[in-house]
Amino acid sequence: MSIIVIGLSLSFLLFLLAAGLTLIFGMLGVINFAHGALYMLGAFVGYQIVHMTGSFWLGLLFAPLIVACVGALIEILALKQVYDRDHIFQLLLTFGFILVIDDATKMIWGFDYKQVPTPEIFMAPISMFGSQIPSYRLFVIGFGAAVSLALFLLLDRSKWGMIIRAASSDPEMAQTLGVNVNRVRTGVFALGAYLAALGGVVSAPLVPIELGMGFSVIIDCFVVVIIGGLGNIRGAILASLLLGMTRAAGYTYATEWVELLTFALLIGTLMFRPAGLFSTKGRSA
Amino acid sequence: MKLLALESCNVTYGKAQALHSVSIEVAQGEVVSLIGRNGAGKSTILKTIIGLKQPVSGRRVWKGDDVTARLPNQLGRLGIGYVPEDRRIFDNLTVHENLRIATVMGRTGAWTETRIFEMFPVLLDRASQAGNTLSGGEQQMLAISRALLTNPELLLLDEPTEGLAPLIVDELVDSMRRINEEGMTLLLVEQNLRVPMKLAHRQYVVDNGTVQWSGTTADLLANREEIEKLISV
Repeated sequence: MSIIVIGLSLSFLLFLLAAGLTLIFGMLGVINFAHGALYMLGAFVGYQIVHMTGSFWLGLLFAPLIVACVGALIEILALKQVYDRDHIFQLLLTFGFILVIDDATKMIWGFDYKQVPTPEIFMAPISMFGSQIPSYRLFVIGFGAAVSLALFLLLDRSKWGMIIRAASSDPEMAQTLGVNVNRVRTGVFALGAYLAALGGVVSAPLVPIELGMGFSVIIDCFVVVIIGGLGNIRGAILASLLLGMTRAAGYTYATEWVELLTFALLIGTLMFRPAGLFSTKGRSA
Repeated sequence: MKLLALESCNVTYGKAQALHSVSIEVAQGEVVSLIGRNGAGKSTILKTIIGLKQPVSGRRVWKGDDVTARLPNQLGRLGIGYVPEDRRIFDNLTVHENLRIATVMGRTGAWTETRIFEMFPVLLDRASQAGNTLSGGEQQMLAISRALLTNPELLLLDEPTEGLAPLIVDELVDSMRRINEEGMTLLLVEQNLRVPMKLAHRQYVVDNGTVQWSGTTADLLANREEIEKLISV
């Protein structure tokens, strides 16, 4: 039972990040290396808010908004300037932002790792199916599912989602229909940063908040995005579930084999379904 | 009244020059066609009008105002509608969404979804299908409808009848004539004379990135042999 709970909570955290990465790739054509750094920044800003106000919920509300603003600034001040250049410039730029965000974090918060306590109402474990389940993990699952559902509704049903999909599919054509594609790009990058930071704050009570935290998570996210099919957000949720459950099972039964299992999934996908396990013909975002 | 003009526009793709000092004028209510062979520069002229290409020199003028520096989304909002070559239907949007996206900029007028569905009932039948599941003719209807729903004053049509069955071409020509009779100005690109002769009041013949000839449709009839030489492959 606890494997399922840990697996699902891991899956939804991965999806929050992978969804942003996928959306940004679909709209901007850029693989955002700095996505893990934004996740880490979300956790640190969340820590700061919790530290100052004593409320986890204020952190969950405001830290992602602050990181979304940082994302918007990165897009406007830096990425926008290099869209016309070769792809490699955009990659190098997002890679550069890892270093900038890491150093800024060091300057503000120092080298020590930080901790965010589990919110009080989720302190006590819950008995389910004969085992003790940490209730915060259940919250992560419910919250992750709700955010994922909201994201799908936003993309599939709302006017904004329609504009994002149109602008991702054919930016020039969307522009002739009056869509300000520059602004859509900024918005999508900010949304991706928001989701990454949301993942950071939600993870904060589960893991130590430290400088390297973005790095390990971004690798898993790339694996999810590749297994799901680059730019395919439906694929990303299935791939998140697959990887999250695999890793949870691995931690329980064969701890030393977790990384091997992760990359076996990746290599298997690249060998047999290089377009992604769940690829369809069209991109869904 | 002069609606739109390109004045001595030079346009390049990298180092290759696509248009050499092209000047075009379209008056309110007209149907004007640009004819010429493949690669002559006709599509580039339309792209320059809607802002997808910026002239390296020359001016774009809308109702007497210099709009050379405007972006495509701003030109679309001014009232220029664009039906591109290859239709460019959004393949990850449904047919209905492909129409709704045109109404996002908020230009309202005579063209509403209801009227579109009256003119092209097949689009209503296919409303919830993905845009890329339509046949060529249906995609063309959708591309035209999408542009109409922006309620433009000037509609640019890049080879709207290319690759379509003759029966559907006749249907589209009828639709375009009706659209014009209701007051919309059309600028049409075609490779042959068939559709322009039926629809257009004035013609520009384009070759090698320059305007080689221009005149009324009656003038064109009088010089038909000379013109056909200019556009034949």
